[in-house]
Amino acid sequence: MENNNDVLLKVDHLCQYFRMGRKDLKAVDDVSFEIKKGEAFGLVGESGCGKTTTGRSIIKLYNITSGNVYFKGQRIGAGTRSYKDAIKNARNELKAFAKECKEEGTDEAKAKLQKKTEEVQAFIAEQKKEMASAIRDQKHCDKELVTKIQMIFQDPIASLDPRMTVRDIIAEGLVINGMTDKELINRKVYDILETVGLVREHADRYPHEFSGGQRQRIGIARAVVMQPEMIIADEPISALDVSIQAQVINLLNDLRDSMGLTILFIAHDLSVVKYFSDRIGVMYFGKLVELADSDELFKHPLHPYTKSLLSAIPLPDPVYEKQRTRITYNPLAEHDYSVDQPSFREITPGHFVYCNDAEEAKYREMVK
Amino acid sequence: MSKEIKLSVNNLKVSFRTDAGKVQAVRDISFDLYKGETLAIVGESGSGKSVTSKAIMGISAVNSIYEGGEILYDGQDLLRIPEEEMHKLRGDKVAMIFQDPLSSLNPIMRIGRQITEAMLLKNKANRQEGRTAFNTMLSTLSETMKKAFAEGGEKEVSTAEIERFIKTFDDFNIQAIKLENSYNESRTAAEELITIIEDLLFLSEKKQKVDVIATLKLVGGHLKSMTDKYFVTGYEAVLASHVSALENVKKIEKAKVSALDTAKKLVAGNAAKKEVSSETVAALREIQNTAKEMIARPKYDFFRIGYYVYKNPNTDLSKIPATEANEMAYQFLTDDFMSSFIIYEKIAVQYSVNKSLESKKKAIDELQAAIDFFKAGSFTAAEAHALCKSLDKSVRDSIDPLAVVKDSVAYTFGGALAREIEKYFFYVKNNPKEEARFAAQTAKREALLAKGKTGKAVSWKIVPKSVVELDEQIRIIVSVLSRVMNKFQADLDNAEYFDADKRCIEIIDYLKEKASQVVYKLTKRIAKERAIKLMEEVGIPEARLRYRQYPFEFSGGMRQRIVIAIALSANPDILICDEPTTALDVTIQAQILELINRLKRERDLSIIFITHDLGVVANMADRIAVMYAGKIVEYGTAEEVFYNPQHPYTWALLSSMPDLDTNEKLDAIPGTPPNMIYPPVGDAFAERNKYALEIDYEMQPPMFEVSPTHYAATWLLHPNAPKVEMPKIITDRINRMKEKGGNYGE
Repeated sequence: MENNNDVLLKVDHLCQYFRMGRKDLKAVDDVSFEIKKGEAFGLVGESGCGKTTTGRSIIKLYNITSGNVYFKGQRIGAGTRSYKDAIKNARNELKAFAKECKEEGTDEAKAKLQKKTEEVQAFIAEQKKEMASAIRDQKHCDKELVTKIQMIFQDPIASLDPRMTVRDIIAEGLVINGMTDKELINRKVYDILETVGLVREHADRYPHEFSGGQRQRIGIARAVVMQPEMIIADEPISALDVSIQAQVINLLNDLRDSMGLTILFIAHDLSVVKYFSDRIGVMYFGKLVELADSDELFKHPLHPYTKSLLSAIPLPDPVYEKQRTRITYNPLAEHDYSVDQPSFREITPGHFVYCNDAEEAKYREMVK
Repeated sequence: MSKEIKLSVNNLKVSFRTDAGKVQAVRDISFDLYKGETLAIVGESGSGKSVTSKAIMGISAVNSIYEGGEILYDGQDLLRIPEEEMHKLRGDKVAMIFQDPLSSLNPIMRIGRQITEAMLLKNKANRQEGRTAFNTMLSTLSETMKKAFAEGGEKEVSTAEIERFIKTFDDFNIQAIKLENSYNESRTAAEELITIIEDLLFLSEKKQKVDVIATLKLVGGHLKSMTDKYFVTGYEAVLASHVSALENVKKIEKAKVSALDTAKKLVAGNAAKKEVSSETVAALREIQNTAKEMIARPKYDFFRIGYYVYKNPNTDLSKIPATEANEMAYQFLTDDFMSSFIIYEKIAVQYSVNKSLESKKKAIDELQAAIDFFKAGSFTAAEAHALCKSLDKSVRDSIDPLAVVKDSVAYTFGGALAREIEKYFFYVKNNPKEEARFAAQTAKREALLAKGKTGKAVSWKIVPKSVVELDEQIRIIVSVLSRVMNKFQADLDNAEYFDADKRCIEIIDYLKEKASQVVYKLTKRIAKERAIKLMEEVGIPEARLRYRQYPFEFSGGMRQRIVIAIALSANPDILICDEPTTALDVTIQAQILELINRLKRERDLSIIFITHDLGVVANMADRIAVMYAGKIVEYGTAEEVFYNPQHPYTWALLSSMPDLDTNEKLDAIPGTPPNMIYPPVGDAFAERNKYALEIDYEMQPPMFEVSPTHYAATWLLHPNAPKVEMPKIITDRINRMKEKGGNYGE
């Protein structure tokens, strides 16, 4: 917060809606967070809550609906919906005001209307300008910069082209970015293969010749070869075997140390996220409901959904397991947002919760 | 702990034929499943967990080969019984829940139909099967009786007399079946009535399209079809009043329809959508209550009544309340028929048991001789097979045909022995070949190595020897023999405790059960009601509405609940859960696990729970078996495996997963599981094991006993092995858990 240089990625009121017939599906709804350099940020939540969509929106696999994404201080993604809404609201307001004035019918009212119209027009012009800049940023952002964010996908089988050799898969990004020197490409590929714990000979093989853990290593190599500063790891271990999961986690940890990577780690396995991440954000139905340091989050979970999520973690401990009671979360029963709308607020330094005034007071009480 | 063993798997070996060679998926595993417990099988993919469960269900892939072993359930070896027999068990006694709920549901079939499908089919099959089972048992009984008296029983009873007795038994049972059938029809009508009315009222409440008049007609038809005097006695007047009330209501509804028609100029077909008037609701509710009352009344015992009516065709027992009638008919049946029938039956039972014991004595002698014969060694294939045949015959002869509970060991004896003998001779032929091949390959490799010392690296691989020690094979043959012998010896020792009266009653109960199975007919509507109850049991809200939905309209957790409901629909003894929560996320997973645990308690199920997640297991399992590369490497109670793990693989599994307090670097297991086409000679885990001893590469470790319930297959437990401490990460964690556990305990 204080030192802006530290912030590598800033997601600001990100919204990602999908058209579903007449209605919009709000996959990600007004999510804001910052990731500092060298940090591992975990994003957890149940399936369908928008974790993956957030990751994909950041890397511009979707055109975001509204909000901004800043990477190293530059805007790399922006949506226009919020400006459009603002313009619409302003116009409606003006219409209502005009109607009122007409009914009044005095000169004074006319003058007022004139003034208001000018104001609104100025506002709309400003918004349109912003919108144009957002569209420009969205379309023509710095390509060089965006290659510094890379993604690791969940399913190593589906995300590797079965007809390409490992060399082609890893080198594809380099080629696309204009690298033509074959020697250099080969050297890079071999280097990276060794970094992720494979050997040179593997470069000429096809993905189907590898085991699940090795395939995920190829996926990691493909991401790392671009010398990224940030990696978005979208459930990189959930399709792997238990004994292989630890290998991949250790590899990611090693890479993080040696290359100084910043990682956005998306997963639904809380124990792994806790182990891997410095800070954790909990998502529920497109909203970020809680965000805190990982130790803090597990020590003092505030939002009822976080509590229910934590109470559902199975642990390899029979005695504990038999006494564990699960907390259920029913948003309708837990919250009363009919009067007071909730927002994302900081309860203790670095610990944010999505709540309204009454709840904020309650949470503050709980932390004490 | 003398718990009842529900299922026991002994020395199971399963392989798969593939283009690349034979994949040995399961290599010699054994475990028992007790009644009402959860056995968890843990291991990574490819360790053979699912193959084991599929073998139990009899749904292995087409290229699978059962290379040995047996799966005993209720006296049958599931690997050997024909598919027709398996039909009766699969789903009915042993049910399975698969990993992905979406792929185990049919996407174009409504949920309701999928739940009731098996119920309806099974019911049909049961009714056919009941009749045959009844006839077989009765004819066996009659045969035995005849023999018993022919071979000098105490009383002189002619064959004709016996046949008359059996005929009487058969005849009055037919009478009973007729009566019960007619009773059941009326009862079914009543049960259907409840469903129909419930459906109509539910739909109208939900403002759905309903055809009131058609439903009312249906209700009227059902009311009229309730004619069986045993069912309706005492309610005739009430039913008549219901019929007239229904007529009135129908008039009201019709008037409403025509009013609507004229008002809105609707065609008759479109008039269906409208609300049900309050009079109709009241009338229907009353009918429903009456039906419920009638169903709740005590049932007549038609086995007894059947005899009474058979003897006195002109009497009408329906005037007397059920309990009294049952009592009276019972008295009559006992005095007039059963007492003497049971005396005969008892003689037959005693005779059959004695005969079986006698032949068991003989069989034991033969078996003893056979053991000596095999132990002596030198025998030819023809001799061995001939002996096997004669042994099989004498063992089969000594099976008591009147035993209701089948003797598993004796039934499967012949096949098992023949297989082992065949194997013995296969190895006699194959071992020298294998040795020669191995020697040739080794020589080739040596030559290459010698040549290539200066050149390239040699990547020549030797396929390991698959040689079986012949002595070992003989030992297995002897163990098959001695198992039957011990069983027979035990039977002989227990002979004096044999209770002929109990056996007689068992036989009669069996016949009774089969007879009523014939007449029990499940209709679609009753099945629906039952399905809705099941759906409510597994926690699906608004079951009646969701009954008509398709699988894609459900969320992942709800889908898995549906799959569980389908599995439970036949009321199984054993439930196999093959990674039921892997496709679900944490909160839903917790719900499903709670559901399975609750159902286990309520229904006293035995569960085999297959998973790769040790965290999930801790909550569920009473006992845990850890599998690696087709073998069980450690098994024990949950507490033992989690707090005192012994096998390095279990350590590795535990230490490779972070828990909430882990901060240190994870102990990843290096490498990948071995290729099961060429399984290693020694311990399969040795390659990835940092505690591996030299012997691990040469010999497979046997199961070492840690405690009477805890076994592990690792050479580290051998008295001569060096002392190796558990990895620190695990000891730390266990200490932490113990602390926590202590806190929770207080």
